[in-house]
Amino acid sequence: MSLAIHTEVKEPAETPEEIAKLAEKVSVRRLNFYYGAYRALSDINVNLYQNKVTAFIGPSGCGKSTLLRILNRIYDLYPNQRADGEVLLDGANVLSPKQDLNLLRAKVGMVFQKPTPFPMTIYENIAFGVRLYEQLPKADLDARVEDSLKRAALWEEVKDKLEASGLSLSGGQQQRLCIARTVAIRPEVILLDEPCSALDPISTAKIEELIDVLKRDYTIAIVTHNMQQAARTSDFTAFMYLGELVEFDETTRIFTNPRQQRTQDYITGRFG
Amino acid sequence: MPSLTATGRYHGRRWRDHLATAFAIGAAGFGLTWLVLILLVLVVKGVGGLSLAVFTEMTPPPGSAGGLLNPIVGSLILTALAVLFGTPLGILAGTYMAEYGRYSKLTMVVRFINDILLSAPSIVVGLFVYEIMVAQMGHFSAWAGAVALGIIVIPVVVRTTEDMLLLVPITLREASAALGVPQWLVIRHVAYRAARAGMITGVLLAIARITGETAPLLFTALNNQFFSWNLNAPMASLPVVIFQFALSPYEDWQQLAWTGALLITVAVLGLSILARALSSKKVQV
Amino acid sequence: MMDAAVAGRDVALVHDEAKRAKTLRRFNLGDRTFKVITQISAVTVLALLAGVMLALLHGSLLTWQTFGLDFLFTEKWNPVTEKFGALAPIYGTLVTSTIAMLIGVPVSLGIAFFLTEISPERLRRPIGIAIELLAGIPSIIYGIWGLFVFAPWFQATVQPFLIDTFANVPLLNQLFAGPPYGIGMLTAGLILAIMVLPFITSITREVFDTVPPVLKEAAYGIGCTRWEVMRRVVIPYTRVGIIGGVMLGLGRALGETMAVTFVIGNAHKIFPSLLAPGTTISAAIANEFTEAVGDLYTSSLIALGLILFFITFIVLAAARLLLMRMTLKEGR
Repeated sequence: MSLAIHTEVKEPAETPEEIAKLAEKVSVRRLNFYYGAYRALSDINVNLYQNKVTAFIGPSGCGKSTLLRILNRIYDLYPNQRADGEVLLDGANVLSPKQDLNLLRAKVGMVFQKPTPFPMTIYENIAFGVRLYEQLPKADLDARVEDSLKRAALWEEVKDKLEASGLSLSGGQQQRLCIARTVAIRPEVILLDEPCSALDPISTAKIEELIDVLKRDYTIAIVTHNMQQAARTSDFTAFMYLGELVEFDETTRIFTNPRQQRTQDYITGRFG
Repeated sequence: MPSLTATGRYHGRRWRDHLATAFAIGAAGFGLTWLVLILLVLVVKGVGGLSLAVFTEMTPPPGSAGGLLNPIVGSLILTALAVLFGTPLGILAGTYMAEYGRYSKLTMVVRFINDILLSAPSIVVGLFVYEIMVAQMGHFSAWAGAVALGIIVIPVVVRTTEDMLLLVPITLREASAALGVPQWLVIRHVAYRAARAGMITGVLLAIARITGETAPLLFTALNNQFFSWNLNAPMASLPVVIFQFALSPYEDWQQLAWTGALLITVAVLGLSILARALSSKKVQV
Repeated sequence: MMDAAVAGRDVALVHDEAKRAKTLRRFNLGDRTFKVITQISAVTVLALLAGVMLALLHGSLLTWQTFGLDFLFTEKWNPVTEKFGALAPIYGTLVTSTIAMLIGVPVSLGIAFFLTEISPERLRRPIGIAIELLAGIPSIIYGIWGLFVFAPWFQATVQPFLIDTFANVPLLNQLFAGPPYGIGMLTAGLILAIMVLPFITSITREVFDTVPPVLKEAAYGIGCTRWEVMRRVVIPYTRVGIIGGVMLGLGRALGETMAVTFVIGNAHKIFPSLLAPGTTISAAIANEFTEAVGDLYTSSLIALGLILFFITFIVLAAARLLLMRMTLKEGR
């Protein structure tokens, strides 16, 4: 089984025994998802391991974004969409009707495909979320803003223009602003929904570097249609197809020695 | 093979096209002519009576000199009160329709009824307020007039608020929800801010609309010969004074009516231009 | 170049659960409260409509009790003997609105045709804005202009012309019988037409703009003239929207008060001639309400208001439904 793609794939980091010992930050069990009567996800079982990056790949329409959007229940904004099954965050089922959504989203942050700075200054974009939950004196708030911008690798570029509008930044900078905004409220899990698809290659490279640093402190899930990106940035990869989870394993194994024929076909470009 | 030169049938088609085009150009000219005529007469006759006295003296009894001070002030007061009443209610209702109740049946019904109220005869609004306020209170008052105008303001503000809020991109809302921001703060800090220019335009349009309204004031605020701040008593307003003076046989009253008409028209057109300028500005911070 | 050495990695990554829970309780309360407030506001809009209907019904009860449905068909209007009938105002409202539509609709369509197909690009905006300015002029301005400028001119030129021209034509000579007052039904109808023009024009123009350019290009491509494109492509495509716009204009015309009151002449009688004075519902109310003495008089005027409300409600509701169908068709 040879690969037609040349990609930089990391060495397998964990043996199966070591994987079994990893902490499961998020566990998805028997998950089904419906748009009205249409079943978009069938019986998904997957884990996001603590402080690891998990990539979700698959052709358009396979459900990877849908799955991501269940993890912070952002689908709740729309009528006629419902989820069935369990999604355990640190052991608690977030799909339960008793789950407080704002609390969930404070713990599980999300960065979207299209950069969405709020119509406020750069400083305010970040301070806004922080102020919701914490009463910080100005010095602490300034420190938090600076810290978040540093974590998003944006500080050097904007430190002199914090009062400028968030909309005045370039696309790549806006996306890093969104990342800074998300980490500012100290989540535990960060969901990235095709964060680079609207960006140029240089910005993309910067953000990929970022992900590598961010995973030291957060558990990360990334949806991408770019297989090389998945291979570069993630520790674990899940391949999805037509609403089903076909294969989930360490990234290196998925890309060098996949168990399923469909996975093999996808990564060799037989279909896309 | 169709020939490139005109044949009989083509003559007919071309002739009809010319006729239709001539009619259309004539129609446009027709419309523009009336606009020019009306504005011209308004300016010529109105300016003739313009003087400082118009703004400083009260309405006179027939045969004496005077001004339009009480109706001008009265109109300003009534308009301000009407905007005070109608705008918050309109914004809140529009917010419900675009945010909490976006997909609900209630919103569909309210939108339908609101659109009807938008074009409803304003004299009927006057009768309504007469029944519920003037008849109950036993006298005419500026409060009643303000309420009547406020009722006309509400559908305009509801419509523009809903339209503007619906324009806020869905990605912006999702991004704030993903931060754990509760919905009412998303509305206040993100949606309202993004839609601000449009909502202000809506209020300006509402003001332009009620500035010229006469019928709803006829049996609510009535009229007042003298200058008055008393909101509990009848209050003069430009449109009603114009109505009274224009239909009278006195020339000086008629002159004041024209001047008042000019003032109203300038105010309305000015507000419309302002609203248009605002709505073409880009959405910023 | 990445700022990899992030200072303060040990800045609290763990949040204070109890404090968050308290904040969240505050959020939820605020959210629920705001939601309820906005919901009540939305319902208030409905309550307004219901309130208007109820108030008018209540105020006009006396009239219905006294005259019953005959009120709608009686022409007599005598405050002294307290005998009232709505026929003359209803007739006036319908006739003036019809005249306004008959003249206003073709002209509006013509202007919309001009703006979308004929006018050179540079002129489009200014002329469009000019038409909208016409829409913004308050109706009382139309009223006094109509009374002092239009009516005298009409009386001196057009009316004698009409009277003379049709003097010997059977039927039509009744329609255009003298004397030339200047004011009257026809005058009011014409002023209304000018008022309603910009309104219908802007809706029609919006509706015309929804035709996909490819459709028009296809028609031009096979050699259609501008008129043929309008007649065969644009108008059939937008038919429902045009009707909706026209009905909205009709709704406006029916309820118009000030423009009509000045020039209608205020006679509670039905004359066969269009050049004669008459009255409309709104003109009658505007002219007589504050001087109405006696409960029955007041109640009858309110009854007129109720009738007007019903008529306009039906026309406007039908118009909205038609326009909704139009936007649904586009898939918006």
